[in-house]
Amino acid sequence: MGQSESENEWGALVPHSAEARQVAICGVGESEHTKASGRSAVEIGAEAVERALEDAELDPEEVDGIMFGMGMGPQFDAEAYRKHFGTTHEMWTSNWGGGMAWAATAPSPAARALAEGKAQTIVNVFSVAWASERNSSPAGAHAKFHIEEAHKANLEVPFGWFPQPVYFATIARRHMHEYGTTEEQLGAIPVACRRHANGHPGAVMRDKPLSLDDYLSHPKLVDPLRLEDCCLISDGGGAYVMTSLERAKDRPRPPVRVAGVGECLSPTGGHWSQQPAFTATPQVVSAPHAFEMAGITPEDVDVLTLYDPFSIVALMQIEDMGFCPKGEGGAFVEGTRLHFDSGELPYNTHGGLLSHAYVLGISHVVEVVRQLRGEAACQVPGARIGVYGGYTGERASTLVLEAIR
Amino acid sequence: MSLSFPFPDIEWEPTQGFWEAASRETLALPRCPSCGRWDWYPTGTCGACEGVETAWQDLSGEAELFSWAVVERAFAKPFADRVPFVAALVLPREAPSVRIPTNLVDCKVEELRVGLRLRAVFRGLEFSGVEGRIVAPFFAPDA
Repeated sequence: MGQSESENEWGALVPHSAEARQVAICGVGESEHTKASGRSAVEIGAEAVERALEDAELDPEEVDGIMFGMGMGPQFDAEAYRKHFGTTHEMWTSNWGGGMAWAATAPSPAARALAEGKAQTIVNVFSVAWASERNSSPAGAHAKFHIEEAHKANLEVPFGWFPQPVYFATIARRHMHEYGTTEEQLGAIPVACRRHANGHPGAVMRDKPLSLDDYLSHPKLVDPLRLEDCCLISDGGGAYVMTSLERAKDRPRPPVRVAGVGECLSPTGGHWSQQPAFTATPQVVSAPHAFEMAGITPEDVDVLTLYDPFSIVALMQIEDMGFCPKGEGGAFVEGTRLHFDSGELPYNTHGGLLSHAYVLGISHVVEVVRQLRGEAACQVPGARIGVYGGYTGERASTLVLEAIR
Repeated sequence: MSLSFPFPDIEWEPTQGFWEAASRETLALPRCPSCGRWDWYPTGTCGACEGVETAWQDLSGEAELFSWAVVERAFAKPFADRVPFVAALVLPREAPSVRIPTNLVDCKVEELRVGLRLRAVFRGLEFSGVEGRIVAPFFAPDA
């Protein structure tokens, strides 16, 4: 697939080579996910990496590569890694990892580093302490960028067309206008996520059930969205360990291989108001590329996790990735189709950003790995192919993982 | 004079023309004098004609509603006295490819619909607990 062919109003495909298919995930871990904990993102990241190493049965010196995110404050980087584990070893490092869209694309630079012999075992980590840092910005830590970016500050913020819930309520309204999507249909997404969180021991909303009637009886936060359509704000993090497909076969955990990676970048940056395809996501370009690399179609997907800051973002991605025709997402998600035991499209089986924890997608990948190993809390029977869809608004990414049995 | 959050910085060059026009109770957008392309969000130069500076053009203030959200709970303290309010994106008649973030005023929420005809109305922008006042373009249904 050439870059020029796949350019559309959403922008251009970011090329990822099939070299990523030589990568496997041999360990996963998560920190405790909580409301304000008083811990720093670096401390939380350390806990997630510790648990991933324990899961992979690796000593700290055996991990010789580390990937983390950029632009989100201090992360658990190589220096923090060595300090935490008391080692002095060299580590290949890359800040093209972490959460959000990069939780899906990290295997791509990792594949290069493994092929070039720069590292043999690479951990990708992401953590956040936005619940503890709530007061670091006038509308919360998660809104800091949206208040400070100059065009937003001078054209959007004065009118209260900010922060994220307002963008996505406006998008949801437009989706309702264009396609007849209803509040009841949108509500099926938080209800499915909550049911999964109720069955997941690590989920923030584990003890709080939510029925569709409950959902509909709750007040609007930003009409047409309710609080339940919006992600949690959490302290938490996760990590996954990558190595070559060949080496992963000798590791203690059942290996899960990377089968496909896709990514698309929109030219409008973080300005949701100006995105030409207002009710779509760059998954339109990203997902087909990843599916083609993996040699699969949407029908082959046994478990799907999507970056879901808002219910509407999940709905749009489900459409844009080809699980149903564009505009039919509302009718598609109704009822129990997204539930783990539906036999249809098990979705965010850990609870997602809405009900598990707002750890920006890293736990979505961890969950897919657990599903493909057959050890998830809400296990999809016989799951073999799992997909994570990452999203930041200007960028979408797709990671196809496959169980090796 | 520099106003603090959530006021705009009316001196910031790329959007200075927007706020200057608002102070004369006029809606204006930047446009390329060569190809006619609207420069939105403003950058100062045309995205198609290399090196051509865009110029602010006064508009009629007529627009239509693209989409909206009713903000029921304030996300930041300065908006506490304002909720509920309607945050919207509107399409100016002369530049329908452009989406302007604004607030809808003098309207009934249950009567809002995509495509509703609007006109710009100029009111003071004020926030509780924040010093200052500037004139801003809001939109109301065009009766």
